[in-house]
Amino acid sequence: MTDFDPGRRRFLGHLGLAGLGALGAGSLLSACASSASGPAKSGGSGAVTIQSNLSSPQAKTAIEKLVENFNKLGKGTASVNTIASETFRTQLPTYLTSANPPDLYTWYAGSVANDYASKGLLLDVSDVWQGLGEYPQSLKTLSTDASGKQVFVPMTNYWWGFFYRKSNFAKWGVQEPKTWADFLALCETLKGKGVPPIGIGLGDTPWVASAWFDYLNIRINGAPFHRELLAGKQRFDDPKVKAVLTRWREVLPYFDPKGKAYPFQEATTALLAGKTGMFLIGTFFADAAPKDALGDLDFFRFPIIDQAVPVAEEAPTDGFFASAKSANPAGTKELLKYFASVEAQEEYVKSSSGIVLPVHPKAKAADSPLVAKGKAMLDSAAELTQFFNRDSSDALQPTADTALTKFMDKPDQIDAILREWQASAEKVFKG
Amino acid sequence: MADVSTIAETPGTATSAVAGTPRRRRRSARLSPLLVAFVLVPFAVESIWVFWPALQGFWFSLTRWDGQTPPEFIGVDNYVELAGDATFRGALLNTVIWLVLFGGLSVVGGFGMALLLQRERRGVGFYRAALFTPVVFSLVVTALVWRVFYQPDGLADQILRTVGLEHLIRPWLADPKTALYAVILPALWRQIGYVMVLFLAGLKAIDPALQEAARMDGANGWQRLWHVTVPQLKGVNAVVLSVIVIDSLRSFDIVWSLTKGGPYHSSELLSTYMYSAAFQSLRLGYASAIAVVIFVLALAVILGYLVRAFREEA
Repeated sequence: MTDFDPGRRRFLGHLGLAGLGALGAGSLLSACASSASGPAKSGGSGAVTIQSNLSSPQAKTAIEKLVENFNKLGKGTASVNTIASETFRTQLPTYLTSANPPDLYTWYAGSVANDYASKGLLLDVSDVWQGLGEYPQSLKTLSTDASGKQVFVPMTNYWWGFFYRKSNFAKWGVQEPKTWADFLALCETLKGKGVPPIGIGLGDTPWVASAWFDYLNIRINGAPFHRELLAGKQRFDDPKVKAVLTRWREVLPYFDPKGKAYPFQEATTALLAGKTGMFLIGTFFADAAPKDALGDLDFFRFPIIDQAVPVAEEAPTDGFFASAKSANPAGTKELLKYFASVEAQEEYVKSSSGIVLPVHPKAKAADSPLVAKGKAMLDSAAELTQFFNRDSSDALQPTADTALTKFMDKPDQIDAILREWQASAEKVFKG
Repeated sequence: MADVSTIAETPGTATSAVAGTPRRRRRSARLSPLLVAFVLVPFAVESIWVFWPALQGFWFSLTRWDGQTPPEFIGVDNYVELAGDATFRGALLNTVIWLVLFGGLSVVGGFGMALLLQRERRGVGFYRAALFTPVVFSLVVTALVWRVFYQPDGLADQILRTVGLEHLIRPWLADPKTALYAVILPALWRQIGYVMVLFLAGLKAIDPALQEAARMDGANGWQRLWHVTVPQLKGVNAVVLSVIVIDSLRSFDIVWSLTKGGPYHSSELLSTYMYSAAFQSLRLGYASAIAVVIFVLALAVILGYLVRAFREEA
């Protein structure tokens, strides 16, 4: 199964059932065979149709619960159509360009939404945002397209960090590092104890490596440079990017050598079993963790490398955008207003049972020390980034996967790898 | 004599032609509507679902298209880019390796198994069924099984450790040196059973009297195989070759499920590269150009064989 998207929904959609996998790939193949089969809208009665990639059981239940609640409000009716996440990703352009598209879509904020907006495919939801005065400016900026109108309504986000087991850190007698020097010392200590310090899972999920690239880049060169790089305004063969990989090279010997071969789900298992020390990953990894391990999990923020660079964190934001061709824009906007409300987000966070944060500043997150710590980290950050593919595009992500897995295998070829990366990125930007 | 017969025959021929033409016309007019429907309906369906998209593919290969905005004609730029694309060259080379290894070994293996299992002995049905079983599995399921086999500390590693070859252990699917071969193996595992069945059917059709006669003439087992069995299988060979070439060039699912063409394009085939160009990079024009290359390759190999086969028959 294709899996280069860091969205937690993606991962949930895959939770590893063999049959499910077979079905998913089957639909993927048939999806390329039959193009342009836009889903028919359910009834012409003005019901708002939501095309959802929230295919994990909990998330699916949560979104269905929200729609059920919305229908009770009497502001309109809506129905959910849940699609396997990989199919959803490959078919999304087809949905949006079909003659009779669904109204509302779950998707990501940022450049992905802007890209569709620039093609005139997204509904202007600026009037929904007029009612969202309590939302921070950063979220509004994130939801605004190049022409200055809002095209996206966020619902939840989550964070990335170095996750570890508290009991293991206590057993090994080590502390959370704050700086890069602390981090290197921690790696050395763990290695001395025979534990591979840094877990990773690149087999099948090579995009996990992009988290390292993102974080090193925003720690060394800062978030603005990172965004420009991913938007094609800077070059990957820039010395500043080389500095990122050179820094990364310092810790390459501490990576779990098996991480290349297994996906991040198994890297999670390795972390929980104490076979690796820590793991840079988004909170979605915990969905697969057994309940008893959850209480033992903790995380620390990616160590600070340069004090002068404003601290930025990765906080991928999930939410909704609507089709410009929606037959019922008024109903769609009513639904979006509901999704942006405190009660909808609290309800979602409660029933989805994953570690996600509601984006409404007044909505209460789940009541756990881990979630409180994550929320505090994001609140204290000077800047937020999304993730490699969300700040650039799904099309650019494979170029990063190729470059970064190659770098981790052949760190002595940094220059050649960055040149290749720039060349393949140019092709993507050129179209 | 010849003249006479020509002269004598000419009027007759003319007459029969004159007389025959209306008769033939009447026969064609009486062509059953059912028959016409049987020809035209599938043709119409094929045209919509096969020929038209195929022609469109050629057209798209001359455009730049992201699937959302209208395609933009750019001439042969995609093909020029293909010529200079190192990933494409790697994928082409891998496809050739795949064709040779996967195709060659499945023919050798399938034929060998068919020879071994052609004679009716006790329990032979079990072995045939066992070899055929992998064909029944979806390739995606096959890939899941083999992934478990290849995973770190999985069965492959354990076997190597048991026989004392632990220095060979590596991340099979994640090592660019082994990834392609680690994917060919499961594909072969499946294809051998399929090819075996084709050859078994062919072997069954050979008249036992031929073998008998060869044996009476003192031919040994090798000679009987080479001079009697193999020539008799000519018809099956054409089928097997077509199947192998087509299966090689369209091999996609097993590679995609196991490595997605990675790590860094080391197990990329033309088919996987086409898919990722189309649906990940959203460069549908460029992907169409790759598809055209695949089409030409398949056609060239199969036509080459058919032309040779026809020439031999003529």
